[in-house]
Amino acid sequence: MDIQLKRGLLDVCVLTAIKNEDSYGYKIIKDISPYIEMSESTLYTILKRLEAANMLTVRTAEHGGRLRKYYHITKAGLDRIEDFKNEWREVMSIYQFVTREEAEG
Amino acid sequence: MNQQEFMTTLRARLSGLPAQDVEERLHFYREMIADRMEEGRTEEESIADIGSPERIAEQIIADTPLTRIAKERILPQRRLRAWEIVLLALGSPIWLSLAVALLAVILSLYVALWAVTVSLWAVFASVVACAPVGIALGVGTCIAGQPVGGVAIMGASLVCAGVGIFAFFGCCEATRGCVLLSGLGMRLIKKCFIKKEDAQ
Repeated sequence: MDIQLKRGLLDVCVLTAIKNEDSYGYKIIKDISPYIEMSESTLYTILKRLEAANMLTVRTAEHGGRLRKYYHITKAGLDRIEDFKNEWREVMSIYQFVTREEAEG
Repeated sequence: MNQQEFMTTLRARLSGLPAQDVEERLHFYREMIADRMEEGRTEEESIADIGSPERIAEQIIADTPLTRIAKERILPQRRLRAWEIVLLALGSPIWLSLAVALLAVILSLYVALWAVTVSLWAVFASVVACAPVGIALGVGTCIAGQPVGGVAIMGASLVCAGVGIFAFFGCCEATRGCVLLSGLGMRLIKKCFIKKEDAQ
């Protein structure tokens, strides 16, 4: 898959994983794993990027006697998911056009 | 490998990065290992799952911009003493010119590398350009009343076209090689900064 494309997809996957409730690193990887493979270091880079872009915020909370970081989506993050859906509605219609052409040709 | 070994190796491999970055990374992996163990996996399994610290460190360094590594290494960790500043200033005609010369040598080597590629493309362009010009010239020579010479010129231009097709693939490979070497050089420079720290 094209690197630029994959990067954009991973961003949206991570945002989606924290959309309904705040989540933490390992849970994000587990939730995404059926759809797209992601290593820990990749996730770290993405979380940093999304935090710098104000699409998520981080808080540290205690869990079982240790500290765990929880990620919370912001308005900008939710907007990013909406943009993605709109973009891909267009892409999907182009995909249908392309595959129909192939089937007829 | 247990968690202690994993963290020690990772820390050592990342020693060239800003200390705050390293701590944050280590915390991140510690949390990842702890969360896996909480699911009932052993320490060893969890670490095997995450991967070797050497590989992880390599990827982290590749992901860190060179400027961030360089800034960390070049900025002194402590305030300079007065005599060090004096020495630096007095010695500047020597070390500054040496540093500039070194940079110039590296830069010129790099430019030379690309110059070879550019000249290969120039050869390709001229060979390809020969083909139509040669054919036109050949036709002209035939019309002028020298059919043998004309056909020979046309033949030569066809050979040029053929060579040009092969040259195209060669040029593509050369360009790809240059891009690859550029990436390799970048990684080498980053490694230099990291290695210096390890030696201390």
